[in-house]
Amino acid sequence: MNKKWGMAIDLDKCTGCGACQVACMQENNMPIFKDDSDLPKRVTFLDLMKVTNDKDAKKKYGEVQVAFVPKMCQQCEGNNLGAHQPIPLETVKKRVLGGEKVFFPGITYDEQDNMLYKPEVVYTKDMVEDLEKKGVKSVYFDNSQPPCVSVCPVVATDVGDDGVVSQVWSRCIGCRYCQTACPYEARAFNWWNPRYEGDFKKSLNPDVSLSSRGAVVKCTFCSHIWKRERDKLLAKGEKDLNKVKYNPACVSACPTNAIIFGDLNDPESPVYAKKLNNDERAVRLVHSIDKADPKVREKWIAKKNYPNPKVYYLSSQKWLRDILVGFKNS
Amino acid sequence: MKRTLLFFFLPFIISTYLSYILFIKACDYAMNVQAEKPLPFNHKTHMTKYNISNCEFCHGYYENGRFKGIPTVAVCKQCHEGKTAAEKIFFKNYKDTDTPWTSFAQQPDLVYFSHIAVMKNKKTAQCASCHGNKGVSMTTAKIKGKMLMGQCMDCHDSLKISNKCMVCHD
Repeated sequence: MNKKWGMAIDLDKCTGCGACQVACMQENNMPIFKDDSDLPKRVTFLDLMKVTNDKDAKKKYGEVQVAFVPKMCQQCEGNNLGAHQPIPLETVKKRVLGGEKVFFPGITYDEQDNMLYKPEVVYTKDMVEDLEKKGVKSVYFDNSQPPCVSVCPVVATDVGDDGVVSQVWSRCIGCRYCQTACPYEARAFNWWNPRYEGDFKKSLNPDVSLSSRGAVVKCTFCSHIWKRERDKLLAKGEKDLNKVKYNPACVSACPTNAIIFGDLNDPESPVYAKKLNNDERAVRLVHSIDKADPKVREKWIAKKNYPNPKVYYLSSQKWLRDILVGFKNS
Repeated sequence: MKRTLLFFFLPFIISTYLSYILFIKACDYAMNVQAEKPLPFNHKTHMTKYNISNCEFCHGYYENGRFKGIPTVAVCKQCHEGKTAAEKIFFKNYKDTDTPWTSFAQQPDLVYFSHIAVMKNKKTAQCASCHGNKGVSMTTAKIKGKMLMGQCMDCHDSLKISNKCMVCHD
């Protein structure tokens, strides 16, 4: 699959009505608790945050501005540290023969993107000779991982083929490492068993499993809708799964079309990544490396792991962009 | 000495064994292993005598791709007119609302399994690869096991289909 789902949210169009949050909660079987309006322990996938330029309450009347930011899981992918330098097999052989312990932190691939070995497999003499027989000249490793996936001890969270970070609630043991690792606080912990009043249970969505108490839940870009659309397409006789198009619940619910969803790799889609990266209005949450000098950016991206999220926020107001990017003194 | 050790560990052994049995029973109940229907249906005669080789003749798909599952009595009535004595008794006794008329191999809530994605995709499975050779069976009893995750993953591995969590879980 060559899809990479992404989202763009135009904050100039957003009116803060909260329809996306309601749609998300209904689509994903979120439980309802008593006075759930403004608690830190509430369980929501999509949080509608109120942002103002008047932090110290010193602005005069007329200067205060307010914006609403829908914040869901940003589906980070991490920047791929290994892809920058392919490693020739000869150097690997030299190091192995020299008695060094050689391993790579990510999955190793050959030049044709065929997977060779799993992460952190220690290379032996036989393995290198085997690769030479196959005609492999250089290897590179891919360790692009969102911050939450690398810390999960039970593989409850994983990156799918379309770049969406999945979460299996039933597999989660509730250690909350991922919640700590998440730079966006997009994950929520179920402190109580879900309760549904009256006949509410009959109207639950059968495609999404209910999460019990003690599990971390998060937005998965409504991947069950993708599966539903895939089934519809297969019933028509279409077999190419790259043609499946879908919209998450928040996108369909938005009355002003402020949220757009699509493929980041596709030049014809409204959320083409290269177009958005060059857009002055577009920012990514707490990702100030985007706005840094290109030379500085290249240097740091090759060294350090950045979350590299797939959700873009568009705004024409500079104060809002500065707050979202995470500049100091904004 | 040995006998006292045995007596000491006997309660533990018994309780472990009992909890093991309880666990297996609970798994079987959750996954609907005893899914035999109160219906004397014979797959073999339908396959050989009436020459129905396509399973989709009765077990088809809806327009949106959902699997129809066990056919309703209305599907039987498409061929059986209900004129003979045996058919009269059959249509009198069996209704779609009869209680153990559940799904045949129930998957847990966290699995999003769709038959059409497995059967009508680029790489397809056979009905028999999960359900056993139902075509020659004389009853409605389950032939093959209860579809654990390893079974799915083995097939995905051998056909080089992605084994990411998101493919099946939701």
